[in-house]
Amino acid sequence: MNVRLPVTLAELFAALEEPGARVLAGGTDLLVQLRSRAGAHGSQTLVGLERIRELQGITATDGVIRIGAAETHASILENRLARSRLPLLTAALAELGGPAIRNMGTIGGNACTASPAGDSLPPLYALEAEVELASRQGLRRMAISGFIQGPGRTSLERGEILSALLVPQAKGFDLHHFEKVGRRSALAIAVVSLAALIRRDPSGRVLEARLALGSVGPTVLRCPEAENLLTGRRLTLASLKPAAAALRRAVTPIDDVRATAAYRRQVAGNLLLRLAVLA
Amino acid sequence: MPQSIPPRPSPPHPRADGLAKACGTERYAADLYPPGLVWAGAFRPGVAHARVRAVHTDRAQAVPGVIRVLTAKDVPGTNLQGIVHKDQPVLCEDKVRHAGDPVALVLAESREALVRVLGLITADLEPLPGVFTPEEALKPGAPLIHDGRPQGNILLRAVIAKGRAAQALRRCPVRLTGVFHLPMQDHGFLETQNGVALLTPDGVLEMDVSTQAPFRDRFEIGHALGLSPWNIRIRAPYLGGAFGGKDGATVQCLLGLAAMNVPGRPVKMVWDREECFLAGYKRHPATLRYTLGAEADGRLTALRCRLVYDTGAYAHLGGEVMELGLEHAAGPYRIEHVRLEGLAVYTNNPVAGAMRGFGVAQASFGFEGMMDALARRLDMDPLELRLKNALRPGDVNPAGVRLTSSVGLVECLETVRTHPLWTGRRQWEAQAPPLTRRGVGLAAVFNAMGYGRGLPDMAVAKLELLEDGRFRVYSSVADMGQGNASAYAQLVAQDLNQDAGAVELLQPDTERCHPSGSSSAGRTTYSFGNALLKACTAMRVKLLSRAAMVLMRDELTSLELAPGRVVHPASGRSLALADLGRLLSRDDRVCVAEFLMPVAQDPPKTGTAFPIGFPHLFFSYAAHLARVEVDELTGRIRVADYLAATDGGRVLDPQRFHQQIEGGVAQGLGYALMEEVALDQGRILSDTLSTYLLPTSLDLPDTLSLAVDGCEDTGPRGLKGVGEVGMNGPLPCLAAALASITGQRPDRAPLTPERVLRALNRKPRLRKQA
Ligand SMILES: Cc1cc2nc3c(=O)[nH]c(=O)nc-3n(C[C@H](O)[C@H](O)[C@H](O)COP(=O)(O)OP(=O)(O)OC[C@H]3O[C@@H](n4cnc5c(N)ncnc54)[C@H](O)[C@@H]3O)c2cc1C
Repeated sequence: MNVRLPVTLAELFAALEEPGARVLAGGTDLLVQLRSRAGAHGSQTLVGLERIRELQGITATDGVIRIGAAETHASILENRLARSRLPLLTAALAELGGPAIRNMGTIGGNACTASPAGDSLPPLYALEAEVELASRQGLRRMAISGFIQGPGRTSLERGEILSALLVPQAKGFDLHHFEKVGRRSALAIAVVSLAALIRRDPSGRVLEARLALGSVGPTVLRCPEAENLLTGRRLTLASLKPAAAALRRAVTPIDDVRATAAYRRQVAGNLLLRLAVLA
Repeated sequence: MPQSIPPRPSPPHPRADGLAKACGTERYAADLYPPGLVWAGAFRPGVAHARVRAVHTDRAQAVPGVIRVLTAKDVPGTNLQGIVHKDQPVLCEDKVRHAGDPVALVLAESREALVRVLGLITADLEPLPGVFTPEEALKPGAPLIHDGRPQGNILLRAVIAKGRAAQALRRCPVRLTGVFHLPMQDHGFLETQNGVALLTPDGVLEMDVSTQAPFRDRFEIGHALGLSPWNIRIRAPYLGGAFGGKDGATVQCLLGLAAMNVPGRPVKMVWDREECFLAGYKRHPATLRYTLGAEADGRLTALRCRLVYDTGAYAHLGGEVMELGLEHAAGPYRIEHVRLEGLAVYTNNPVAGAMRGFGVAQASFGFEGMMDALARRLDMDPLELRLKNALRPGDVNPAGVRLTSSVGLVECLETVRTHPLWTGRRQWEAQAPPLTRRGVGLAAVFNAMGYGRGLPDMAVAKLELLEDGRFRVYSSVADMGQGNASAYAQLVAQDLNQDAGAVELLQPDTERCHPSGSSSAGRTTYSFGNALLKACTAMRVKLLSRAAMVLMRDELTSLELAPGRVVHPASGRSLALADLGRLLSRDDRVCVAEFLMPVAQDPPKTGTAFPIGFPHLFFSYAAHLARVEVDELTGRIRVADYLAATDGGRVLDPQRFHQQIEGGVAQGLGYALMEEVALDQGRILSDTLSTYLLPTSLDLPDTLSLAVDGCEDTGPRGLKGVGEVGMNGPLPCLAAALASITGQRPDRAPLTPERVLRALNRKPRLRKQA
């Protein structure tokens, strides 16, 4: 196995042209994958991102926070800008894996893994984040929901990488809520998760609701029907119940060793009811 | 043999293994990489039940770096391993009986070559119909796992009876029934099964191996491979955890076979985590059926139950595990009439064996579930109900044994009864946050110590005065992390009035130490500690009498041991132990003593299916309390507080005592909340640590461990074993807390969010207790 550690993007793109080259960010997904195919990675080249300046850093321009793809979860959590402007995202990252995983794993890796259980994704969908992709041909941008195509599938072309996440700050939203249900309190893959952003008028009526669910379908899912049902209502158990039912109708969960589809469906709706006690 | 109270109050005694383990310098078996290493690995086809037509190794033999590929025909000896019953092939010849069964053993020059070779072996298998639950296995005409057994798929069936349970039950004013299902649990130790072996030029098979039973291993390996046990030398360094899973051969026979094929070269075998799940031993899944009869005032009268343990493809310790479960099946209570029936049944599931709480962790869910149901039925306080029925010193226990040993259950229950976590429970429950329900549960549990009647629970300790005046303990009982080795050092230091640093430890080595049974059954400090204290007594007499000659004293009573010296206080003269160390010959510097655990006198005339290991005389007891919060939206359980009050006799070292309790509770909470080896037709679905979940520190409460004041007169310094009892409480305790919330007694473990949510959504069936 070869390991390359390019320092510039140009070197990176060159390295990615080697046969069998794969991008290695924190390795917390990739190395697990490679391990399960033991003996089969003799001809592999791993291209590390950690030395490339352009893939690091967290900056704000016009209400959009740019997070370099190679930023680790821990460094995002330590960043004041991210914590104050993107509380929904940092709430999710705080529950991702455990301390060691957050120290190694990156937000770019989480997005490129494109797991429906990726913890950064429901907030990124609710925040309507965009991805910035880089290749020899230059940069392009697209919505996170367009970038992720299915479990493990993204719009990345050969020789292209994810260079940054562009996350609009949710101005005016007064409720930022993330809840993950795993089988234990740390190092647990989500069984269901919900990211909710709510904007209300002074009387408490919902002006805009954005709801994104993880682990209940092939990709993270927004549910416009439930969002609309909340509009104009106050957040009470009674008003949340029809929207919860809409969430249960919208999801397409599966049975696996962690939970049954029936449980995921029920809890997908239940999680919304939590808003009644937060409001 | 009552022991004297320590000569001075025990100072806090540092763990002998603490510093080296914290610094990473302690050498586990897994750390050994002698030069010239050969790597060995097993090929396991992964099919639960099949006839083996052929094993194809030709392509594998051609790989560069391959040394040998061995199959069953290359195994000398009986090719059968097993502790009591020898029914498990080292390499399977004609049949595989579970998905982890091996059919070939590869020796290779490197780990990489080993992986490549293992990928090129194929087995030509003819699938056989499998049985994956005891119910299927017990059906007439069920496929047989082992041929030629008159009992078919039943490994062992046994009954423990006392009084007339059937008649008494008919007369009982209160009668309850219950069924309980328990999952398969994995030990989850950090250091997977591994070892290094070498066949020396003089024909001795040497092995450094992660094992709980170095002395017995010699016989198991010898029998399987046709070697004389006297030509086998086993060393057991500190283990990175075991919990029962390294009691009995894991890598030993494969490793021995490998070493015999490359004489003079060391061979290493390490199972990765997946292989550990696939081929390692597990806690028996079980189904328990209970009928309990009581008087209207809550006095227990009669109990009948049937416990069925799934032992998997091989016996391992299935019969013995079922025995201990059965012996505890009626709980730590006075019950006049019992009929306890137990079965250990073969299936094509992974092999079950020893695990902390050996059969008892399962039974505890049953008898405590019944006690809780009874409290609800009678509208009685669950603690008062247990107190009313608790075994007391001198009672005859449900298995018919008169308890001449120490019994501190009442003290445990009273510790809980007066604790604010119990007295303030109603108020705490009433303050549940929105969408949250709170409940408090209680459990009374116990766990036997030692092998039981019919199997001598013997330990032989050797203590040496070193030439520099310090002492060396030749430990014969492996330390898997529980701290028994530290206890040995402490016993010697205190008994001989020496500084902690003056005692060094040698870990078990069958050539240098003396046979002393396994590291299991809560016996490690009790049995070996007793032997060691006898050796200390002999050592004291030896030191004083040899010093008397030099110090010119004609009475030993005028002399005393002090740190590093023998002193004569009256004259102020003394002799350094370092001088004695040089004065004495090697033979004279050594004391060896043995101890045999007492057994029940007048054993009851029941349990006759158990020629060995029944009944037991000594038990540790505990009362546990859990405060539990359930989230109504997700069914997730949070254990807010946990209290364990334990009678383990006198406490030798508080730190190690509480570590055992906290560790047992943590493992018990894992069993209660999430641990389950998921199976599909004998195949393990949860074969990694991302699908087989162990609790993390965030899933566990701060366990409050309290020791009640007790003393077991036969124990070293009054102690009993406490390694297991802590494991048995959490599941029944959490189940009780949950039942108080949902009004329904959970009948299946683990208590997953999914099951809890379902219970929350069902209408309560049982009356909520006032
Ligand atoms: C024990 C454990 C617990 C975990 N718990 C969680 C959890 O709770 N929640 C959760 O969401 N995840 C969890 N994960 C998964 C993983 O840690 C995260 O998905 C993490 O964010 C992956 O980031 P990484 O930098 O390690 O990615 P890597 O493993 O380096 O890469 C993952 C994939 O993305 C590609 N890639 C990475 N960066 C880029 C880029 N910039 N451009 C193009 N391709 C790229 C790689 O080629 C690879 O295919 C866990 C993993 C482990 C081992």
